[in-house]
Amino acid sequence: MATLADLKISEVKLAAEQTGKWGMVIDQDICTGCQACVAACAMENNVTFVGEVDSGYGRSMHWIRIERFWEGEYPEVKMTPNQPMLCQQCGHATCEPVCPAFATVHSQAEQLNLQVYNRCVGTRYCANNCPYQVRSFNWRDYQRPEPLPNQFNPDVTVRRVGVMEKCTFCIQRIHKAQDKAKSEGREVVDGEFTTACAQACPANAIVFGRVDDPESLVSQLGKQSHGVKHLEELGTLPNVTYFKGG
Amino acid sequence: MSKQFSRRDFLKLAGVGAATTAILTGCGPASRYVKREPYMQMPEYTYNGQSTYYATTCRECAAGCGLIVRTSQGRAIKTEGNANNPLNLGKTCARGQATLQGLYNPDRVTDPIKRSSRGGDSTAVMDWDASIQVVADALKNNKPEEIAFLMGMAPDHIFDLVTDLANATGMNAPMRFGALGMFEARATLSKAAENLFGQASLPFFDVGGAQVVFSFGANFLETWLSPVSYTRGFAGLREARTKLRGKFVQFESRMSSTGGKADEWIPLRPGTEALVALAIGRLAAEIRGGAMPRAFASVDPKDAATKSGIKLETLEHLAEMFANSTGALAIPGGAALGQSNGLAVAEAVLALNAFSDNLGKPGGVYLSALAPNQTEYNRPASAREMQALVQKMFDGKIKVLFVHGVNPLFELPNSLEFGGASKYVSQIISFATFPDETAREADYVFPDHHGLESWGYQRVATGSAQPVLSGAQPVVSPYYNTRATADVLITAAQLAGGKFAEALPFKDEVEFLQSKIASLMSEADGSISALDIPTFMAYFQQHGGYWKMSDGRGVPSAEDMLNRTIAADEAEFAGEGEFFFVPFVSPTLAEAGANKPWLQELADPTTTVMWNTWVEMNPETAHELGIENDDVVKIVSEAGALEAPVYVYPAIRPDTIAMPFGQGHTAYGRYATDVDKDGNIIPRGVNPADLFGQHFNEAGDLAFAGMKVKIEKTGVKKPLSRLESLMGVYGIGLGEEH
Repeated sequence: MATLADLKISEVKLAAEQTGKWGMVIDQDICTGCQACVAACAMENNVTFVGEVDSGYGRSMHWIRIERFWEGEYPEVKMTPNQPMLCQQCGHATCEPVCPAFATVHSQAEQLNLQVYNRCVGTRYCANNCPYQVRSFNWRDYQRPEPLPNQFNPDVTVRRVGVMEKCTFCIQRIHKAQDKAKSEGREVVDGEFTTACAQACPANAIVFGRVDDPESLVSQLGKQSHGVKHLEELGTLPNVTYFKGG
Repeated sequence: MSKQFSRRDFLKLAGVGAATTAILTGCGPASRYVKREPYMQMPEYTYNGQSTYYATTCRECAAGCGLIVRTSQGRAIKTEGNANNPLNLGKTCARGQATLQGLYNPDRVTDPIKRSSRGGDSTAVMDWDASIQVVADALKNNKPEEIAFLMGMAPDHIFDLVTDLANATGMNAPMRFGALGMFEARATLSKAAENLFGQASLPFFDVGGAQVVFSFGANFLETWLSPVSYTRGFAGLREARTKLRGKFVQFESRMSSTGGKADEWIPLRPGTEALVALAIGRLAAEIRGGAMPRAFASVDPKDAATKSGIKLETLEHLAEMFANSTGALAIPGGAALGQSNGLAVAEAVLALNAFSDNLGKPGGVYLSALAPNQTEYNRPASAREMQALVQKMFDGKIKVLFVHGVNPLFELPNSLEFGGASKYVSQIISFATFPDETAREADYVFPDHHGLESWGYQRVATGSAQPVLSGAQPVVSPYYNTRATADVLITAAQLAGGKFAEALPFKDEVEFLQSKIASLMSEADGSISALDIPTFMAYFQQHGGYWKMSDGRGVPSAEDMLNRTIAADEAEFAGEGEFFFVPFVSPTLAEAGANKPWLQELADPTTTVMWNTWVEMNPETAHELGIENDDVVKIVSEAGALEAPVYVYPAIRPDTIAMPFGQGHTAYGRYATDVDKDGNIIPRGVNPADLFGQHFNEAGDLAFAGMKVKIEKTGVKKPLSRLESLMGVYGIGLGEEH
């Protein structure tokens, strides 16, 4: 198989030198697949539900989902370790260059993949190009009858039909923590805040933090030898490290 | 404030990032009445764009996890775990997260109503004064022994209030029931503890400290007893920082999402759990040498292997694993206890712990800590006790039935005939927050506030080493014209006069709560202490409850535990048919989650199905019967029949089919039900409890898993919504329906 170096594309080489800023480590060995992260994400980020019919068509809006696969046949059947899959906040994201509207852009400040909802025109090229299949598209204006909208998080935009959306690493929480630290004249402390999924996880399987700070918990964990990054061979430079189970 | 929690620590641990975060409390008696105010007169702590945080207790199940709720401008925005609560240490499950969709559910009961005829749609809105008069008349105009209260497993403070009322007036003692309690077979666990340890209790299994865990059907990573706490324990089991990574073996006929995490999944024949546990005990005792414990002596491992369908080598290998471990733990639970021999299963599995010598030791079995204001373990009613209540209703001995926090028409099996018996009760008064099946059959519905709008407390029954009383306070003002049931009862009791008024001499719910927690104010070793009640109450609210700072778990006595005989007989199965039927509680919906749309849209952890009920069937069985995914089959038991689409499930015994409990509502709001082409409300999915017969185990729990059923094809297809794609996974493309 051709490696990235064989391709001799200068931009790819540049990207490989970049380091991320925010990252995550997910321990699949202790993830129980309980869906608390999925629910927490939906509540924090005003993610809509789509109902039985649309979810049957694969249009549900989960920003994070728990994957499990089967190995072997009964009675030697095994469920593979639960794999929470969310936007990997790639350092070199395949979704970014295909957007004709610059809605899917890279944040230089936070080193995250942004989704600018008011730029998005709904071509869905980004979702097509995402190898992790973590982008969801608003196929309709899904109904959230009164008084359900009372629970909307005022820090997060409510999306409407025709717009692509995906995990943001709870950027509203990042900004809040940064603003607070700035007003107190200090840096954000590791563990001061975390994403909604990591905060809820009863098994503590998700750890979030600065990957560019070698002292942070997420960096320390990320160095462990059994950590893997999914589809790394595509050169996407994902910022989520997984510990395989078993 | 005690030295253990400085305000600064508390805020830090709560993990909230707002610039001026504070966990707020009413601070004194003047603010106990929560009322809506225009934002012209905003409370001084409320600023536009800044959130306020309140500590309270989750009411989605009876575990009693502490919550911190973020509110913004009078609206509840997000629930997080209370990092200080020793039970959940800042964590929540999916149902705790979705509790806001109950609070802001579009289908709540908005006003007190009177129904013209039971089950009918025609209702008249009442005012609260008239409603309270109805309750007062019901108390006053009936003999006390003709009044009964049926309550859910949460919250505890209303149960305490009704208990006080019953003790003072001679009313029937309130009964508590919940489908989760039934599926957990709590009466069986408690009876087994009584038989073996000499004390009725809910055993606590320290999964986190163990090295090897053998679980016989316990779904402790899903809904079992206290899922958040047990999940933390599981993470501890797996953690390999200070010890070896712990091993986990699950014995069950259908792979649960808990079983999916096991290193070894052992699909034994349903009904042989006791036999297998004793056989493992015998083999392990042989490996360790010494005298053979009497409990294991009479079991023949070869016979156990044949009957259970587990290879003898596998049993030997498991016994070796158990015998050679320094920290082996065995947990009984779930469907294994819901069989005719459930009590023997619980005893056999607990005996393994005595053999492992782990009783009262880290990584072993404890008696759960009693909550700070509790003197003895108080379990919910078993199905047999519910049957006794139903019989009393049939006999016309109950004239008034009050229902709070439980939905018996959905949660109790049809075969117990609660619905039929309710026709002999002259007056049914429901305090339901949501228009559930029981509220539909009630003469009056006097809606209680949602849990997030309520005062209260919940005793933590198990899951925490420390004794915990989780406290609840309103985080938002009531959205609708609802009223706290405790307030309704207090006012009604005073109107009724006499013994009723004497039993509840309180101004309101808050005064009652204060009377219940006042004795804790100056107790040693408490998380908070104060010199006067208003200050103590303020701390209680601010911290989300009161807990002891030391380990309150009991040590079970192991005396003679191995020196008794335990029946190794297989379970008896009721009904004709070739399939064992294993009902299990939906890990995402549990008993009362079906009306929250995001819980409906969470993928089931094992099948990824959303929004409906399915039947799990082994691929080989399905192939033999000519059944494919999404084919609707009819399941016939001795008590009933239902139809549901098949999910071809690779991890279930070929002689077993399984079905989740949680759907099949005929009422309970738009998300719990479905509509047909003509716009009529129809059930969403089916309720497997409709198949249950009237068979109990020795402890009085329902033998819900002790059933054999027949399957008939219907020729109909109903596509299930799943998160996983069918494409490629089963080597097929998308069906026509898509």
